[in-house]
Amino acid sequence: SFYRHCIAEDPEWSLVTVPSLTELCLQHIADNFEKNPILDRLLPEHQRKVLERLSTGLPLTVTATLKNDEDYWKRCCTERWKLCNVSNYGDSWKRMFLERHLENVLRRFIPNTTDPNQVLELIPLCKDYVKKLEVDQFLPPVKVDQKEEADDVSDTWSDVGLEVSTHHYDLGVLITALPHLEELHLSYNVKDCGMNFEWNLFNFTHQDCCNLAGALKMCPSLKVFKLTHSEVDDDKTRLLVHNLLDHPCLVELNLSHNIIKDKGARAVGKLISQSQLETLNLCNNQIHHLGAQAIAKALAKNPTLTSLNLRLNCVEDEGGEAIGRALLTNNTLKSIHLGSNNLSGPTALIFSQVLAKNTTLTSVNFSCNHLGLDGGKQLLEGLANNKTLTECDLRLAEVSQEAEYFIYQIARSNGEAAKLRSLQHPPAKAL
Amino acid sequence: VPPTSQKLAKLLFDGTQLVTNIQVATDAMEMQRRAEETKLKLERVERLENEAKSSTKKMEEITSKWALAKEMTIPQELWQLLSEQQQQCTLLLNQKNKLIDDLQEELKNKDEQYMEAIKKQSDDIFLLLERMEEQIRNMLTSYHQKLLRIEKAFELEQQELLDSHRKKWEEAIQVHNAKELENLHDRLRKVEEFEVQLKQLQVQDEEEYNSMKLQLENDVQNLEKQIEHMKAVYRLNQEKLDHNLKVLKRRDEENTILRSQQKRKLKRLHTVFSNLRTKLANQEKQFSEENQSLTAYCERITNQCKEIQRRMRAFAVSDAEKFTEIWLMNEEEAKGLMRKALDADRIIHTQQLGLPWEEPHYWFLDNVGPLGSYKTKEMVTKLVADVLTAASGEGKKPTPKAEDRASPLQNIPKKTAKRILELVSHELDFLIERKLLRFLSTLGRYERTLMKLTYIFEALKIDSEDDLCQLLDFFLKYKAQEMAASQVGPTGTAVGKASVQEKGTRINQGSPGGEDISDLDSISHTRKDELKYPLSTQRSLPSVPIHADDVLKILRAFVQDFNKLREKDVAVLQKEVLQVRDSSKDGEYWEALTHIIPEPTLKLWDALELALKEY
Repeated sequence: SFYRHCIAEDPEWSLVTVPSLTELCLQHIADNFEKNPILDRLLPEHQRKVLERLSTGLPLTVTATLKNDEDYWKRCCTERWKLCNVSNYGDSWKRMFLERHLENVLRRFIPNTTDPNQVLELIPLCKDYVKKLEVDQFLPPVKVDQKEEADDVSDTWSDVGLEVSTHHYDLGVLITALPHLEELHLSYNVKDCGMNFEWNLFNFTHQDCCNLAGALKMCPSLKVFKLTHSEVDDDKTRLLVHNLLDHPCLVELNLSHNIIKDKGARAVGKLISQSQLETLNLCNNQIHHLGAQAIAKALAKNPTLTSLNLRLNCVEDEGGEAIGRALLTNNTLKSIHLGSNNLSGPTALIFSQVLAKNTTLTSVNFSCNHLGLDGGKQLLEGLANNKTLTECDLRLAEVSQEAEYFIYQIARSNGEAAKLRSLQHPPAKAL
Repeated sequence: VPPTSQKLAKLLFDGTQLVTNIQVATDAMEMQRRAEETKLKLERVERLENEAKSSTKKMEEITSKWALAKEMTIPQELWQLLSEQQQQCTLLLNQKNKLIDDLQEELKNKDEQYMEAIKKQSDDIFLLLERMEEQIRNMLTSYHQKLLRIEKAFELEQQELLDSHRKKWEEAIQVHNAKELENLHDRLRKVEEFEVQLKQLQVQDEEEYNSMKLQLENDVQNLEKQIEHMKAVYRLNQEKLDHNLKVLKRRDEENTILRSQQKRKLKRLHTVFSNLRTKLANQEKQFSEENQSLTAYCERITNQCKEIQRRMRAFAVSDAEKFTEIWLMNEEEAKGLMRKALDADRIIHTQQLGLPWEEPHYWFLDNVGPLGSYKTKEMVTKLVADVLTAASGEGKKPTPKAEDRASPLQNIPKKTAKRILELVSHELDFLIERKLLRFLSTLGRYERTLMKLTYIFEALKIDSEDDLCQLLDFFLKYKAQEMAASQVGPTGTAVGKASVQEKGTRINQGSPGGEDISDLDSISHTRKDELKYPLSTQRSLPSVPIHADDVLKILRAFVQDFNKLREKDVAVLQKEVLQVRDSSKDGEYWEALTHIIPEPTLKLWDALELALKEY
């Protein structure tokens, strides 16, 4: 009668609301996962449930060894960052989390202050997953008294800055311990410094360059290397190039937004002829005609390079002509960017010949030059019989609107033809 | 109308152009700025250089005036100079300060410009972002519209397709239904036809079935009859078999009885057999004893026989001697008588008749001794002696006699013969009695050998020249065979030896106790020169070295052969011994002797007697 009474009192009572013992156990396992990480011994469905309930704040040492844990890592990533484009990380949330975590650690690493074990401890956990490292900030070492002085006396910064060694974190240990590293994007500068701006925050020292070059040599799997906004000068370029010569995998090199001059460009030219480089970006440097001639010389013989970017340099007509002559013999380069290089008529003349003869070049960019009306006409003449060029940028190049329009028409028709060909090609191949 | 893809491409291109325009514009401005910067920089550097030059010039002026000042002695002048200097210095400093101020002004301007640039760039970036967003929005909307349109078009197409397909489907269904109906009619018709056929078939089958049934029933009856018959036969057979079984059982019993009887018999026979065996053993013992006694007896008899033979030979010799003696005596008598008669005849002729007398010459007159005396066989010893002497004294001229005698041994070289003989004498000492040996040892070498050989040959019963020849030939032949065997091949020696040994053993087996002298003696009477044929074939045998060890072997083989040959012709030889004497001419001889005085002489004598009587 007592039971009846109870049921009568609570008509909504049902057994379903009582959690089952397995649920409780799994919850307990999930709660105490840090102390007792048992997952392998559970049934697959239970494993899934435990992974769903795991806290995202667990230390990496516990979670890095988990299996079938993409959902867990997805939760971790979305909780930590707003933007998560997993397609950039090979559709692997775990890789994304580990790479970005490592990047964050490196960004905040202050030499002589931060414990280097912070990085070293991460290496065994993430070395099987990290393929790309994108670090856009390296903090310089900081001295407390310097900081105080900097706060107190703004005039003394230059004196102190010269005395203090401003070497950054040495990537050598980390890079050589990552066997799958393929991409390395580095910028030796400081972000969001605001009013604390000091020139020596942006000092990519020779010692840093030596360390980096040595590390690059020990990393044979590297395919893409970018070192931008880092005040890389000629000597550093030569040091880097010297260590990258005959690299087995390197395909892309980006040294844009630096202060490379002709000597550095010459070194890069040597690298072009002694490696399998396919993409080279040297935009916003200080390469003059001598450097451009060196690059053109290497380009004339090179069979691998497909893309060359020399935007915002001072190549001028001598360099532009040299590159044009090189393209008369080269038949691999597909894309070339010569924008903002102070080019004029003679370069346009050479390139009209190139466009008439070359059958591989698909994209040319001459924006912000002084080609002049004659130059535009010559280019138009050269393009008359060209069937491959699909892009030709002549904005702000002092070319007549008429010529620009016709060239644009030709490029567009070529592009459509190429599109059609690429559409027709697969069925032809299938047959 | 341009296709949508082109439209989209144009839209995209325009949008990108719009977005990148900002970048290009900034690039252009940057270019411009850089160009201006470089220009300003050059100007500034020039200005600084000019300033430096002018200031250094002024400085030099000032410093040069310092030298002047040292020469100054008047204080007013000096003060004036100093104030001038001061003025100039302040001027210089003012100039410098002005420059610095200018530069600082420029710096300030630059800072402002920088701020402006930053502002502008941030504006640009905002603009860029706006444009990008706008672009994205535009593109999204246009793509969305395109997608919608495409979907609509697809739906339309789908609808059309569906309609057309439905139409086709309905038509096909109608056609199908018509066909189905037709088929149904066909089917009904066929069903009717088949029913009729089925009925017909049923009737037919029924008839067939009935007839079949009748036939089968008949068959069944027949078969039942047969079964009954078979059953009767079976019963009969069963009875027969029962009977047979009984008979067999009885026979079996009989057989068991017989078997027991046989067993009993067998036991009895066993006992008989054991008795007989004991008897046989006794008998065998008895017979062996008897055999022994008989062999002993046989030996005695053979000894006796030998004795008798020896005696017979002695008698024969003595008979021959006696015969010659008698013969000589008679001859003498006859010759005396003959001589008398001849004398008488001579007297008659010379004295009575005065006729010259001639002594008649008859063959038998010269004869002395028994006529036609057989060629006595040369004694072996002599021959041996000859051989030995001839060989030993080779320097000496052999006497003609010796040569004659050696003629039977012509085919064998003397030296070889001697060697063989010497070997034989050495190896066969056992054939000679001990005493004799001791005695012989005192003699000289030659004599000893000779004596030994004589005894040995006596023991071997080799007492004729032929036998000796055979022996020597045999030796040579044997050796030659061995040689030939060894020359056949490298293995031939072994084979040859084996064959020889085999031969020897066979010989041994052939005549057990062949070594036994008594045995040898018993057969030694016989002699035959059947072995003469190898004698002719082996004529050209080279002298072969004979090893002492082989001698006995060879000799044994020889004796074996020799004995075999002899046994054959015992009787013939016996006869020969007796018939050695040829008495065919004896009568003639004696007759001739009687007729020494011829018939005419006798007649003459008779006539003379008559005349003398008358006288």
